[in-house]
Amino acid sequence: MPDEQSLPEKRGLILRIQRMSTEDGPGIRSTVFFKGCSLRCVWCHNPESISARPEVHWVGSRCIGCMSCIEACPAGALKGTGSGIVIDRKACTGCLRCSEACPSTAMEVYGRHISAGDLVDEVLKDRVYFEKSGGGVTLSGGEPTQQADFAGEVLKSLKAQGIHTALDTCGQCPWDRLEKLLGHTDLLLYDLKLMDEELHREYTGLCVSQILRNLVRVREFREKTGAPAQIWIRTPIIPFHTDNAENIRAIGTYIRDTLDGMVARWELCAFNNLCAHKYDGLGIDWTCRGYGLVRAGDLERLGHTAAEALSDPGVVHISGATRDSEEES
Amino acid sequence: MAMAEALQTKGKIKEPKNLSPRIRWLRDYYFRGAQRAWNNEFTAWSTGTPWDAQFDEMTFYIVPETYAFLQTFRSSMQQAARTVRLHPDFWTWSLPERKAWFTKEVMVNYVPREILPGDLIAGGRFNVQTSMCWTKKEAKERDRLIYGKKGARASMKWFHDHGYGNSGATSGHLIPWYERVLKIGFKGIFEDLSRRYEQLSGKEKKGGKGCQLRAMMIAATMPRDLAEKYALLCEDLAAPENDQERKAELVRMAENLKKVPWEPAHTFWEAVQALWITHMLVMSDENYPGPGVSFGRIDQYLLPYWERSISQGMDREFGKEILKCFWIHANTVYDAMIRIGNMGITSGYGQLITLSGMGKGGRDMTNDLTYAMLEVIDELSPILEPKPNVRLHKASPEELLDKVVDMISTSQGSPFLLNFDERSMAGMMVEARKAGVEHLINQDNVHDYAPVGCLENTMVGNDRSGTVDNNLNLLKSVELALNDGRDFFDFVDPITGKKEKVKQAGPRTGSVQSLRTWDDFWNAYVEQTRYTIKRCVDLYEKSESIRARFCPTPYVSCLVKGCAEKGLDITQGGAELNFTTIEAVTFATTVDSLLAVKHLVYETKQCTLEELVNALKANWQGYEKLQASATYRAPKYGRDDDGADAMAQAVMDLWCEETWKHRTASTGRRFRPGMLSWNYWVGDGFILPASPDGRPKGRFLSNAICPVSGTDINGPTANMNSVGKALGGKASDGPGDWGGYYNRLPNGASHTISINPSLLKDPEHREKFKAFLKGSIEQGGTSLQINMIDADMLRDAQLRPEEYQSLLVRITGYNAYFTSIGHELQNEVIARISHESF
Repeated sequence: MPDEQSLPEKRGLILRIQRMSTEDGPGIRSTVFFKGCSLRCVWCHNPESISARPEVHWVGSRCIGCMSCIEACPAGALKGTGSGIVIDRKACTGCLRCSEACPSTAMEVYGRHISAGDLVDEVLKDRVYFEKSGGGVTLSGGEPTQQADFAGEVLKSLKAQGIHTALDTCGQCPWDRLEKLLGHTDLLLYDLKLMDEELHREYTGLCVSQILRNLVRVREFREKTGAPAQIWIRTPIIPFHTDNAENIRAIGTYIRDTLDGMVARWELCAFNNLCAHKYDGLGIDWTCRGYGLVRAGDLERLGHTAAEALSDPGVVHISGATRDSEEES
Repeated sequence: MAMAEALQTKGKIKEPKNLSPRIRWLRDYYFRGAQRAWNNEFTAWSTGTPWDAQFDEMTFYIVPETYAFLQTFRSSMQQAARTVRLHPDFWTWSLPERKAWFTKEVMVNYVPREILPGDLIAGGRFNVQTSMCWTKKEAKERDRLIYGKKGARASMKWFHDHGYGNSGATSGHLIPWYERVLKIGFKGIFEDLSRRYEQLSGKEKKGGKGCQLRAMMIAATMPRDLAEKYALLCEDLAAPENDQERKAELVRMAENLKKVPWEPAHTFWEAVQALWITHMLVMSDENYPGPGVSFGRIDQYLLPYWERSISQGMDREFGKEILKCFWIHANTVYDAMIRIGNMGITSGYGQLITLSGMGKGGRDMTNDLTYAMLEVIDELSPILEPKPNVRLHKASPEELLDKVVDMISTSQGSPFLLNFDERSMAGMMVEARKAGVEHLINQDNVHDYAPVGCLENTMVGNDRSGTVDNNLNLLKSVELALNDGRDFFDFVDPITGKKEKVKQAGPRTGSVQSLRTWDDFWNAYVEQTRYTIKRCVDLYEKSESIRARFCPTPYVSCLVKGCAEKGLDITQGGAELNFTTIEAVTFATTVDSLLAVKHLVYETKQCTLEELVNALKANWQGYEKLQASATYRAPKYGRDDDGADAMAQAVMDLWCEETWKHRTASTGRRFRPGMLSWNYWVGDGFILPASPDGRPKGRFLSNAICPVSGTDINGPTANMNSVGKALGGKASDGPGDWGGYYNRLPNGASHTISINPSLLKDPEHREKFKAFLKGSIEQGGTSLQINMIDADMLRDAQLRPEEYQSLLVRITGYNAYFTSIGHELQNEVIARISHESF
């Protein structure tokens, strides 16, 4: 890989570009998932986005069992077992030779480096769909503020092209990083997961104070500059962690008291466990593996709680897979 | 609060709605199928000669499933045929006159007539197998040309057995000039024919022209005499009828039938009645139940009658009731072989109606009748015929798009096809230029085009373009290029076990050792493509020339402009616009195969060409790493990757340019390109050997212009962009072929995409989907068919993950490739999608 310093423009590490995304802001969007995150949420749906380094994982459905990867590994970190290729994460140096040697892309790499220019060219291929739908590009993750210079260049370039931009952030970063991006952001998607300090620390690894501080500064920034034009708050509804009325009421109260009139939408996104295979591939034991879907009735009740806490209940949206309350599983 | 809507589940099994007792009964009765007392099963009719025949096998040469039964069909029809008492002069007449008289005699005096309870439209049994009316000499000559060693049947079989595809002069597949019948009646057509006949010299009257015009005059009186008979039947039924309302309907029907289709229509009821009788007799005349006999822009030419009747007090719902009866009638085509199935027809016969679309100057033509017909479809669905195609364009109204999206979201799959006007019209303009028919297709009238069958674009009322007649596997040229013009393997007949040694069929384009560079290989592919196209053209000539000599259809000829003017039957090239179409099959498999050859052999040098050929001959057995590399590492068409899509354009340009070079010798029909793969991409996957894109023998080939199943891993917008590029893309500045669009394929290109139901789950997402359609009008191909991902598809993906690499399961805030999640979770997704809980 060429030296970062010698490159004419910034390169970032992204997981993938999701085209025709319909869940990350208005209209049809291309969502760019950044790699590397500042939080460690136990329920994370994109565990492959947490580490800021490229990581190899094994895709069983593509593997033809040729063992080329094992031959290619200089660290002896790979082992063929009855249930497939097992990666010894401690031994793996991240050289990615196994992935290069694999003919079927079964040793897939999470993460690729891309220049801001190439990324912008790629997402602009769907420009017509953005225009027809009032959509655009969303930077998500992982945590885009972890690569603030790169993200800033991408957002700036997109804005110059007249593309609607959204930034999806957990808010956990030094203020100056977020500040760099806000001026080029039309829509800020900001996560508020838990209001309780202790629980936030326990379930995400860090306390909520910086996130809340940054949100206040976002308000001030917006009052001064008008950007970002819109703010959506997102709350994942995770069984046993965030799905209690008290927490939702606390977030709602916070939104009402601190951000009144600024939040265009508050999304409650129901948990689902379909990412379990990603944890398996990364060799991580996932605490939430056994959690079922949120009951439809419970989600609706939380929606009402949320609506009651706000002065404008119309901003509450709920989404995600649920199970009918009569279903057992 | 938006959540109430978000929580609603949707997409339950579609059921008919808003049906009157009359329509509910007719619909339910129809779906009783073979248990019905009444049906529209084939009846067969003979001149009584021992050499007679009814069944025209050539029209089924494009249906490989029937090959084994061609002889059986012929004999059983002949065996079942009843003898018709012939006119004493019958055998002194020319063949077209005999044919016209015979068909008329059967339809008017032999086939039974019934009116089903409550039905508002007359015209029941039309599926017939009538005599070919050949003399002994004609029959003998025709049989020699068909059954001889180098005859049409053996040649067709060879072509199919060796993986080239199929070809045959096929019936149906045109849009007759129905609007003219409504306006001037068959009386007007008859008078026009008489005038033309009278203008002939005495010599001409005795010659072919005279015979043809006389035959057409006989044919033009068939609908009059048949309608009269139905009028009498209605009167007979009306007399004893106690229900006064029904009695009045029957009286009114009798009045309608005494007038139309002989006289011009005035009311909406008359127009629909005239249209139905006229249409059903096309199918009788060709002995061909339905396929591709299409209506064109029905919401345009019926509109004046609709508006007149509405203004004269017709209840809008009663107008829809008339249409619903018409709809039920159209479905009875399937009765033809009701007791043995449907001869491989899997996707509907395609009596296509066209709705909405552009008019002069880019004006939108959507009207109240468009919506009434969409309501009829919505209320009757699920129902197959007539198959609707909704034409969309940049100025399509929001109301129409909303209705379209709404209907898609409440059906399991799309209840109609979508055609994109700008791209389609660009293709028709290319056709005008290539064939020098700008006086018939130009800026001022190209918007009057309409699709035939599914999405095969033609002009209306003066055009027979043989839209499904030739189906060529482009991939065959790759096999030949890899093997110096020879098949990989000897051919073994699967039924007889007879072996045929590999021959030098194609040109010698070089051994694997001699093809040293990519350009060498590409040039070999070019040569082989030229050869396979020429071979297809030569094969078509066999059935085309036989049809022109022995199978006139004088009634159809009355309904196609050009036939009367030239005094030529439509089967002899009478139509003003006279084309036949090569439909390229295996497009994406071919493009991906060429990309793989380039990638594996010439760029990354993972193997030599010889090794690749060995791998293909071994069906990849023992070459699994190379196969994996071809499958997963080589570039693919359909991902909006400009490099790969450039190969798609090169393949497209090559075969299209070659196609335009040819004409039929016997009938002077120009060949033109299109892409519709019907079901060949499934069956021929078992004939063609393994291909360089990683596909083993037996796996499906690619469908029409679609990317290879599962390779479009960048989603629907990328897929759409690739398709648009393969057709030629858009002009960066300048007019393009039409309005800035290019399109290599006048006949259009079938394009199917699968959409996750979550994309239609609530109003907000339906808006997004609507925007996707608007983007597709700008970026995509000529047409679009939308499939909804359902539990069955996901179960299939569990069994064959390699074909579903791109299948994305969308759940809020999270997307996953279905094949990459564990089996247990896959089952959970299937359970959820079954319960519509996404």
